[in-house]
Amino acid sequence: MTMRVHLGGHLSWYDPGKRAWLEFAEPGPIALLELVRRLGVPPAEIAVATVNRRAVDLETAVAGDEDTVEFFTAVGGG
Amino acid sequence: MRYGYSGKILRVDLATHKVWTETLSEEFYRLYPGGKALAAAILLQELAPGVDPLGPDNILILANGLLTGAPFSTATRFSAVARSPLTGGFGESEAGGFWGPELKLAGWEAIVMTGRSAEPVYLWIKDDQAEIRDARHLWRDDPEEAQAVIRQETGEKLARVLQIGLGAENLVRYGSLTNELRHFNGRSGMGAVMGSKHVKAVAVRGSGKYLDAAAEAPPLSEMGRRLAKAVKEHPSSWDLQVRGTPGLTAGLDAAGILPTRNFRQGSFEGVDGLRWETYEKELLSGRRSCFACAVRCKREVKVDDRYQVSDSYGGPEYETVAGFGSNCGIDDLQAVAKANELCNRYTMDSISASSAISFAMECFEHGLIGPKETGGLDLRFGNAGAMVACVEMIARREHIGDLLAEGTRRAAEAIGGDAPLFAMHVKGQELAMHDPRGKVGVGLGYAINEAGADHLTAVHDPMLANPDSLSFKGAQPLGITEALPPRELSARKAANYALMENWNSFERAIGLCFFGPTPRSFIPVDDVLTAVTAASGWEISAEDLLRIGERATNLARLFNVREGFTRGDDTLPERLFQPLENGALAGASIPREEFEQAMTALYQLKGWDPLTTVPTRERLAELELEWAADLVGVPRGQ
Repeated sequence: MTMRVHLGGHLSWYDPGKRAWLEFAEPGPIALLELVRRLGVPPAEIAVATVNRRAVDLETAVAGDEDTVEFFTAVGGG
Repeated sequence: MRYGYSGKILRVDLATHKVWTETLSEEFYRLYPGGKALAAAILLQELAPGVDPLGPDNILILANGLLTGAPFSTATRFSAVARSPLTGGFGESEAGGFWGPELKLAGWEAIVMTGRSAEPVYLWIKDDQAEIRDARHLWRDDPEEAQAVIRQETGEKLARVLQIGLGAENLVRYGSLTNELRHFNGRSGMGAVMGSKHVKAVAVRGSGKYLDAAAEAPPLSEMGRRLAKAVKEHPSSWDLQVRGTPGLTAGLDAAGILPTRNFRQGSFEGVDGLRWETYEKELLSGRRSCFACAVRCKREVKVDDRYQVSDSYGGPEYETVAGFGSNCGIDDLQAVAKANELCNRYTMDSISASSAISFAMECFEHGLIGPKETGGLDLRFGNAGAMVACVEMIARREHIGDLLAEGTRRAAEAIGGDAPLFAMHVKGQELAMHDPRGKVGVGLGYAINEAGADHLTAVHDPMLANPDSLSFKGAQPLGITEALPPRELSARKAANYALMENWNSFERAIGLCFFGPTPRSFIPVDDVLTAVTAASGWEISAEDLLRIGERATNLARLFNVREGFTRGDDTLPERLFQPLENGALAGASIPREEFEQAMTALYQLKGWDPLTTVPTRERLAELELEWAADLVGVPRGQ
């Protein structure tokens, strides 16, 4: 049972392997803030979070097994 | 060349085929150190009011910035400025690539073209020599062919060629300029202006070295080496290198502000077909850079599948992916890449072209136009083949393409009925693919910008929303103190916008790319100051840099005031005051009253009369622009 996690934009820079997509193997519900802490991604760099394509509140949302969680940065133009 | 600028301007009279040199004083250059600033000063002084933008009396200015060609990443940009055939107001567009730096190394800061040649010509510049050459044999040639012929004729394999293709030759009002086939002055119709003057190309080769001319070369050399490494050490510039702007698509969809079906919606059910992972799999063939730039944000593409896409004209940026993709209801990235290739081959701004087509699609679905007008195309949202065919029609001015080549504002007026409600433009220039309903400061920029809707007038609200973010911290040395929510529309937001508009305007004057300096990317304010001082010998502060940007914007505003623009022109398309139909921000709109209040606050912050939008004498005096106030007739005691 794994969770798929996407580090969009420059968030993948924080992953040691610079991965944009990764499998998160720890089962059970996990708060997104805890998830990003474990992934080493600064919450301040996250502008949008989604769980299974639905926008959620990073501060309060929880994800579980087989969910797809995506984090995106602020888009500043370009 | 003395310092990072020579002060030399190449004057070209196309009617008589005469060329001559003018040298600007250091006093002039300190106030207007190139790019938008220098060009705006010349245009305001020399262009008579009311001239036909596509007539012989318009003036086309190509201007480098002080730092264009400096040997560090992102110092590559030059400006194209004229009265815009799209808006009738101040027209400007910046491009990177190699042409601007080459012009600098040939010893020139700018080229000012007046008049119209009786026959097609190209301008050939080799260091301090310039001549006008016959281009009748090149007219109608694709840029790739024309570039090869010009390089052969000049005997310079590395001649850098700035030129136009079929669309600009046919005076599509959003005709663009291209250099090296992959870099574009896209906005404001500057290619159409060059086409109207019968100038096919401006080719240049220079043998100078920027460092030989700099006031203090070592800091620039050291900065070049250090920034080349820093690109990979900053998350934003690293991401630009790995994905470029096409990496933005999925995040904007998740945020609910991916323009979809002519800005009716903020989320696209077919976004998976457009996101970076698909781009990488179906299109990507490589990466390229501009002159001396380690960011390497340009994508290369090649397709031989559902569409054949040439690898000669570069890959679609985010704006083009969203413009021909979600905003036309199309999820086929190969079709988007083909439309991008055609826009680049024919030198037409892909933002305006795609917006014109999404506008036409909405008109088609409402029965305002039909197969008779479209030449038989079933021009509905989602029809990728019709979309690609429509790009061809615009360039060739066939069927509905002839009308869409005039821009959405004129097309809507001609079609009538509800069509003006579907035309997504400000002052006649089509919106970029950023929806202000999710980042309202972008809306202030769209509305107030003298050249019409433009997404690069200031950094977008989300980058200044979190006080702990890299981007917010990067903006603090410029004076940003308050982190504000992206949808807060207030006097505080207007203050943040005004400050960042000055910074972006400065970047356009100095020749730096938006993807270089903070807060968008990796070059801190201190390094920008060091570069300016090393290039020029000037002792200068961050406030001075912002003032350069503000001065340039005031010149552009005065240009528009003289052309009759009013506060009523500083507004947004009606649709943005209506709710988004879907996505994370479904139901969100721009509150009209708060928008007007924020605009009033913005004028006051700028020192402009909120009723007329005319800069006050006092503000213009502070900016050392009394001459411009006199020229335009700004009332005293205002």
